[in-house]
Amino acid sequence: MDDLLAEFIAETREMLEASGGELVAWEADPADRARLDTIFRFVHTVKGNCGFFDFPRLASLSHAAEDALADCRAGRRDPDQHLVSGVLAIIDRIAQMIDAIEAGEDLAAFGPEGGDEDLIALLDVSHETSFSAGLEGVKEGSGGGLAAASEDQGTSTARRADPAAQRTIRLPVELLDRVMSGVSDMVLARNDLAHRLRQAGTQPTIDGPFERLTTILSDVRDAITRMRMQRIETLFSALPRLVRDVSAECGKQVMIDLDGGDVELDREMIETIRDPLTHIIRNAIDHGIEAPSTRLQHGKREIGLLAIAARQSGNTISIAIADDGRGLDEERIAAKAVATGLVTAQDRAAMPRDKVLNLIFEPGFSTAETVSNVSGRGVGLDVVRQNLEKVGGSIKVASAPGHGTTFTLQIPLTLSIIAGLTVEVAGHRFAIPQSYVEEIVQASSRALDFTRMGETALVTFRGKRVPCLMLGEVLGLAEDEATATEPTLVMLRLASGDLFALAVEGIHNHGDLVVKPLAPAVMKSGLYAGSTLLDDGTPVLLLDVANIAAQHALVSDTRARVLGAEEDAAGASADTAPRAMLFTDFAGRRSAVRLELVQRIETAPASAIDRSAARPRVVIDGLILPLLGLPDAPLTQNRVRLLRLSDGTCELLYAVREVEDAVELTGALSPVPEDPLVEAITLIGGTPATLIDAHELFARHGEPPLAAERLRCTLPEGEWARAILAPLVAAAGYDIVGADEADDGTVGILFEDVYEVAEALGRPIPPRVIRLRDQPEAPAGSETIYRYDREALLAALAAVASARTGEAA
Amino acid sequence: MTGDLLVILQIAGRRCALSALEVKSVIETGTITPIPRAPAWIAGITALRSQALTVIDCRRAIGLVSDAADGEWPTDHRAAVVAEGGHSYALLVDGIEDITTAAGEVGQIPGGFGAEWSRVARGMIETMAGPALLVDLGALLAGPEAVRGEIEAAA
Repeated sequence: MDDLLAEFIAETREMLEASGGELVAWEADPADRARLDTIFRFVHTVKGNCGFFDFPRLASLSHAAEDALADCRAGRRDPDQHLVSGVLAIIDRIAQMIDAIEAGEDLAAFGPEGGDEDLIALLDVSHETSFSAGLEGVKEGSGGGLAAASEDQGTSTARRADPAAQRTIRLPVELLDRVMSGVSDMVLARNDLAHRLRQAGTQPTIDGPFERLTTILSDVRDAITRMRMQRIETLFSALPRLVRDVSAECGKQVMIDLDGGDVELDREMIETIRDPLTHIIRNAIDHGIEAPSTRLQHGKREIGLLAIAARQSGNTISIAIADDGRGLDEERIAAKAVATGLVTAQDRAAMPRDKVLNLIFEPGFSTAETVSNVSGRGVGLDVVRQNLEKVGGSIKVASAPGHGTTFTLQIPLTLSIIAGLTVEVAGHRFAIPQSYVEEIVQASSRALDFTRMGETALVTFRGKRVPCLMLGEVLGLAEDEATATEPTLVMLRLASGDLFALAVEGIHNHGDLVVKPLAPAVMKSGLYAGSTLLDDGTPVLLLDVANIAAQHALVSDTRARVLGAEEDAAGASADTAPRAMLFTDFAGRRSAVRLELVQRIETAPASAIDRSAARPRVVIDGLILPLLGLPDAPLTQNRVRLLRLSDGTCELLYAVREVEDAVELTGALSPVPEDPLVEAITLIGGTPATLIDAHELFARHGEPPLAAERLRCTLPEGEWARAILAPLVAAAGYDIVGADEADDGTVGILFEDVYEVAEALGRPIPPRVIRLRDQPEAPAGSETIYRYDREALLAALAAVASARTGEAA
Repeated sequence: MTGDLLVILQIAGRRCALSALEVKSVIETGTITPIPRAPAWIAGITALRSQALTVIDCRRAIGLVSDAADGEWPTDHRAAVVAEGGHSYALLVDGIEDITTAAGEVGQIPGGFGAEWSRVARGMIETMAGPALLVDLGALLAGPEAVRGEIEAAA
C-alpha cells in the first residue's frame, strides 16, 4: 500500500511538473484547446487516483476542476481568466497537499474539512456574474494558499535536502543503453577468452581470476538488466484491488484472471501502460460487464470474467484485456460517430464492423449515457491511444455482441532481454520467446496421434486436437526424416489464448537473450522479430511467433483464453483425482506411476547403460542411478526413454518402451496382493493399466544417488611429481591416489627408467601407463612423453579418460 | 566532392566507390547465419562483437546475379560495414581495393549505366585510382525489389 501511495505521489508530482508549463501557456491563451485537454487529463487522473486512496479533499478539488474544464471542452462555458485562476489555485493546492501527504502530515494543516470550499466556489458558474468579486476571491484564495505553501516549503525543502531521504537518481535511457551494450560486448569478449583458454588447456593460475571475472560480469549484467527491466507483475499486482474496488462501486461481480506476469519490460514502458491499462479495466467493468441480474438473464455466470494476458515477442509486448460482457454495440458507436461528425453517414455504410468498433479511440468519443465516477467522460480511450502511440505502440479492439470485448495493446521495445529457447531445424538454429512456450512434448508421432488434414497437421495434446506447424516447412527448409517420425513439439500459447504446436528437430538450451532489431528488409518476411547472439557469439534469429501463427490463420479473434479459463476453472473444481504417468514398459504392459514421483523424462543412449553389475545403472548428470524395467534381452533401440523417479532423497530410473501421457486416475483401484510391486490395477481410458507400487519400488531399489567415480591416477615418487606434476594432473580432472589405493581403473604415471626396471623385474604395472622421459628428444620407437611437454601430457590424460568413459558405457 | 575520401570496391567486376564516411569499418567475415525466406540478396546475419550485422550480397542487391550465374565473381573474405537507418550492414563484394581521394565531382555519362546500375548509382566519379561508380547506399540497401515495385506501380 505504501508503494502505491509513493507511486501516486511521484506520478502526481511528475504531472504537476509537466503541466506547469501548460498552465502558464493556458493562462496566456485560455482558448488553446490542446493545453486545456492536457490540464483536464491531469485533474482527471488525480481524481481517479484519489478514488483509490482515501483523500476526499483532493478528490473534491480535482472533481470541481474537472467539472469546470469539462464544461469548457464541451463548449458549455468559455474559458476566461476567472476560470483559469480558479483552476490554477486548485492545482497549487493539490501540489501542497501532495507534499503534505508525502511528509505524512495531516491534511488538516490546510484548514478544517470543507476548507477547500472557497476554492471550489470560485469555479461556480454563478460567480461569473460578479466577476470582480470572484477575482478578488481568487487573489485571496490563491494568496492564502501560497502563504501556506511558502511556510510549508520551508519544511519540505529542508526535507528534500536530506540526502538519505532520496537515494535515487534519474538517468537518460540512452546512457543505460550504452552501458548495457558495453556489458554485452564484455560478455562476448569473456566467452571468446574462455574458448581460447579451453583450447590452451587448463591453467590454474589463470583459471582462478578468470572464474572471478565471470562471476563479477554476470553480477554486473544482472544488475544492469534489472536497472531497466521490471516484471509486468509489478503492474499486475495492483489490478485485483482495482477490479475489486471498481466492481464494488458499480455493483457488479468481477473475477480477474492474470497471465504472463513474468514478462519483463522496460520500467519506462510499465509507466506508460499503467494508465491505459487502468482506463481499459475501468471501462470494461463499468460499460462492458453487465449487472449480475442481466448476466443471469442472458444465461451467463453471475460473475463477470476479466482476463488479462501479457506476452512478449522480440521487440513487442502484447497485452490482451478480455471481458465476457455485453460486447460493443456497433450501431450505437456508429450513430454516435455520425452524430459527433467523426464520420459521415456514407462513410459509415461502407465501414466494416471492426473499423466501426475502432472509432471508440477517436478523440471526444464516448457512448456512456450516464457519466459515472468510474470511467468518466470519454477521456479514457483517446488518451489511451495517444499515450500508446507516443511510444510507438498501438491498440485495437475486437468484440462479439453478447460475448465480450478484447482490447489488444501492442508495445514495442527497442532493446529487451527475454528468456528464450533455442530450437534447431534442418541445421539452423532459431530462438523462441519463452513466454509463449506452454510445454515441450517429445513423443513418437503415433502417441501424439499426428494426422494430416489437407495441408494442415494436427496433434492430440491433453485430449484436444491442436494445429501443428512444421518449422521446417514454415521456413522453407529441407525437412529431416526424424522430425516427421519423432518430432519435438513446442506447444505455444498466443496472447489471444490460441494454442498450437511447432514441430522442431531439437531443443538446445534456454537462457536470457538480448534481442536486437533486424534490418527492415528482413523484417518484411514477417517471420522474425529480432536477432540475438548466443553465448558463443553466433547470431540467431528470434521467431515472431505471433506473426507466424497469424500467417497460418491460427489466431482467432474471439476470446479463447477466457473460454479456456472457464473450462479450467470448471475442471479444477471437479478434479481432485490423482494423476499418473501412463507408459508401456519393456514387457509390453501398460503401466502407470503416480505423477508426483516423476521428476523428469530422460532420454539416454543405450550405450550409457552399464549392465555389468547385478543391477543395471546409468550415469545421468554425473550421478550413478539404479535402473529398473529393462528387458533381459539386449536392447534393440539406440535410445531409451527413462522415467526419473524420486522420493525426495533417493532417485531411480525406470526404463520404458514408450511414454504415453499424464492421465487422471479416475477409475477404481483394485489391489493386486500377489504382486508386491503393483499397487493396483485400474482402468485408464477403458483399458486396464498396472499402477506401480512406489513404496515397494523405493524400499527395494531406492538409494541416494552416488556421484560418478572420478578418474584416479598414481604419480611417480619425488618432489618434482608432488610439486609440479600433481597440480597439472589434478586440474585435468584426476584424483591423485597412492600406489596402495590403485585399482584397475587407475592410471599410472611413471618415469621411463622406473617403468623399464619394473617391466624387467616383472613387478606389477598398472594397466594404463603414461611414461615420462627426461630428455626433450624421444629415442626412436619410444612411447614416452617429455616431462615438460604439457600438451602431449594433457592429451594422453584426456585420451585415457575418454577411453575409460567409453568402456564404462 | 574533390578531395573526399572514397573506399574503392569491386562489385560484379566493376570498380565502385563508397564515401569513406559511410563505411564504419572493414571486417573479416565470420560465419554467416542464413535467413530462411529472406530475399536472396540478404546473405544472412553475422556478429560483430555484440552487434548483429545484416550481410548484404551487393551483386544480388543491385539485381545482377541470377542463381545460375553463381560463382561468376569471387567474394572477398572481408566485408565493409555500413550503417543506415539505425541498422548495421556488412557488404559482401568481389574485393575491397583501396582508400583513395576523389579527383573530381560526381558526373553522369551519356547513355547511363544500365537499368540495374542506374538504380544504385549516384554517378561516375574520377578518383586517384581511376574512374569509379559512386554507389548510393540507401538505394543499394533497398534491394532489387524496390525498382520492381516502382515498375509495377507505374504499370
